Amino acid sequence: MSAPPAGRGAIELVFPAHKGLEYWLPDVIRRNYGKWKERRFHGYGIIEHISETGERVFTIKVSGTPNARFSADTLLKFCDIADKYGIGALRITTAANVEFITDSLDKALKIKEEVEKLGFLVGGWRNTLWGINACTAFLTCQIGVTDAVSLAKAIGDQLKPYFTGEIPLPAKLRVFVSGCPNACAGGTAMDISIIGVWGAAPIIREDILPVCIPPPKALARIPESKVFMVQVCPVGALRVKRVGEKFTLELIEARCINCVRCKDNCDAFDYEPEEVGWGIIVGGRLSNTGSGPRVGRMLIPWLPSNPPRYPEVVAVVKKIVEVWRQNARPGERIGDLIDRISWARFTELLGLPRLPADYMYMPEHARTFMAYRWRGEWVWRRVRDAI
Amino acid sequence: MAYPPKRGVPPPDKLKELAEQYLKELEKGPWPSHVTELRKTGYPLHVYGAGLVVGKSPWAPSAVRTRYLTGTMARIARPWLGLPGEEIHLRVFHTPGRFLKTDWFRKLLDAIREYAIGLLEVVGQTGNMIINITKKEYAEVVADKLRELGTDVGGSADAIRALAACVGPALCEFACYDTLKLWCDLHLDPRVHENIRAPNFHYKFKPKLSGCPFDCARANRGDLGLLGTWKGAPEVDQELLREKVKRGEVDPRELERGCVSGAISWDPVRQELRINEKRCVKCMECIRLAHPAIKPGREKRIAVLLGGNNKGYYGVKLGWFVGYLPPDVSAKRVVDMMEKIWEVWDKYGMPKQRIADVIIYLGIQRFVKEAELDKFLIEMPAFYEKMPDDVPYRILPPEERQVYAEYAKKVKQELGI
Repeated sequence: MSAPPAGRGAIELVFPAHKGLEYWLPDVIRRNYGKWKERRFHGYGIIEHISETGERVFTIKVSGTPNARFSADTLLKFCDIADKYGIGALRITTAANVEFITDSLDKALKIKEEVEKLGFLVGGWRNTLWGINACTAFLTCQIGVTDAVSLAKAIGDQLKPYFTGEIPLPAKLRVFVSGCPNACAGGTAMDISIIGVWGAAPIIREDILPVCIPPPKALARIPESKVFMVQVCPVGALRVKRVGEKFTLELIEARCINCVRCKDNCDAFDYEPEEVGWGIIVGGRLSNTGSGPRVGRMLIPWLPSNPPRYPEVVAVVKKIVEVWRQNARPGERIGDLIDRISWARFTELLGLPRLPADYMYMPEHARTFMAYRWRGEWVWRRVRDAI
Repeated sequence: MAYPPKRGVPPPDKLKELAEQYLKELEKGPWPSHVTELRKTGYPLHVYGAGLVVGKSPWAPSAVRTRYLTGTMARIARPWLGLPGEEIHLRVFHTPGRFLKTDWFRKLLDAIREYAIGLLEVVGQTGNMIINITKKEYAEVVADKLRELGTDVGGSADAIRALAACVGPALCEFACYDTLKLWCDLHLDPRVHENIRAPNFHYKFKPKLSGCPFDCARANRGDLGLLGTWKGAPEVDQELLREKVKRGEVDPRELERGCVSGAISWDPVRQELRINEKRCVKCMECIRLAHPAIKPGREKRIAVLLGGNNKGYYGVKLGWFVGYLPPDVSAKRVVDMMEKIWEVWDKYGMPKQRIADVIIYLGIQRFVKEAELDKFLIEMPAFYEKMPDDVPYRILPPEERQVYAEYAKKVKQELGI
């Protein structure tokens, strides 16, 4: 499928790629592009790369704020530090941390000192917490049901010693916090992924609904399966219902799995704050280490959401990290630990009363037609054998 | 429109006061605070705080009129909050490797301070930067300013979202192919440009480029993931390894134990490390422990992962591994392959279905056949299928919730939080 030809007034986008790769790279990186041969760590949060040409580069990892929101003032101060002690460049990581680049260990330590003066933390890499990702939630999103940004801040305050390396962990830890099952903070394939869950079936606001469905005359003619809002529901829980001359949508609660696809596409779906909570998914990973990439499994389906500090969720997350820290062998991520000791033992260590046995609640449609969510840990063992 | 919560919304003055209390609470503690940063900008913080107080998102959808078809977004505060507020943001393409040279970055920040509220989300989950602007009328002005600087607005809606690449050979020893070069070349292809500019698909399409199996760019969960890997066993420099063992930097027994597939054996007599190339699964554990004595193998290639996503019809999936591309593959060939994939997706998909959803009901074998991927890929595996998982989300009855709430209470007391 190719896009339609650009019409009049269509805009030609300017990509950074148009200026060429060379333009964007700092000099030392350009000179040593593809020539890096060795890396060394200096404490937590400082990494040294050595090139074939003998040049060395030190990178300092600075924790980003929740949802990577920085004011221009702070970033200009970062620029000043990068000019004074660094090579005049910053780098942003996929996980929303900020990296400073410099050419000697002394300068790196100086940068660490300066950045800490501004109230930021230096840490990460190796066996630490590498950072916390949060989706935008209540900062801009109209779909999110809980505020992931403030929870990320609350969790960060508790997990800070694990980031700076004061308390070493067995292996890498990363935490994703998302405000709804769309999981925009990076999904569920991570060590600890915290997801805002609706807790109850959506409430349909009839007065807004006409915006999302075709007008009654059209609805009378087209088959139900062609109605967009019916199509988006993966479990067939939404039905078109005729009430006299008017048409409305009906929700079959027993089928609903709270996947929020209806809310993604229509603002008429609503919720009550009392029902909303946090689900905790553990054991996922994207890198190929240990037993390979996989999506995490639901450990706790619902925890109360009490802003601004969310003590319940923070406590449970800390407990999970501590259980892992005390029981894992060196190099074992949470998923590997669970593989070795089993889910039953892991929940016992957590003191958790039970694991949610979701298959029992799985809607008939999804069970007979197709399994709804995919984990893939079986798969990946086999796939990796092939790679 | 979301309604106010049943428990009611406090009157505006009271709401503002409560919001301020919540925000102050979020400025405490050692972790960097978003509230502290937002205070230095023109962001409507009282609306955010009010959202926290009432427990519902304070924003309602709105729109901006521009020449752009993707990348601009606007929100307006829910009227029942009683607090006015507006939030307009642009998604801006990031630089290759996300390197920001300070001279260029200062120009960008100056523009942000002049026309926008002085706030930058340095990287969003699509891989773009996000800039908040003050007025809807400024959207085009800011965009023109950005175009002068060599970047632009885009990357939302049912189009190709921003392409994501790891830092690759620019600052990493493990990169098995040149991720940044391929990233640049892909952008220069007119077909990619067209599909970023205008929404043309059933749903979003996210290509992700990772240089090695550590997968920093998260290729495993992209619609099309290109993951650098190699053939056979990792390359071992026995001389250097012996030296490292002698110096005590590397423990050969730890290498043996760390190898998940049991491919590594250490010969203590001849002081030699052997790796069984048939058993090696490229988990990178030995490379991580003994680099540079153990490096990715010589014969590099790119594993193609198809159909990972978070937000599809059938929920969370990781990509299916469907075959390899050579490491020096041209961008044109990758886009040719993408076009074939889009064709099948277009033919069988319903609105708001990702590629993986089409794969699920067509079956991966049939999808690969219809997209004629065998024309592009080498050494395709005989087995692509995966096993299903259970549903992570569902509606919970109150008594079920109570069990977990009580557990949280117990842990809270135990840890004193």
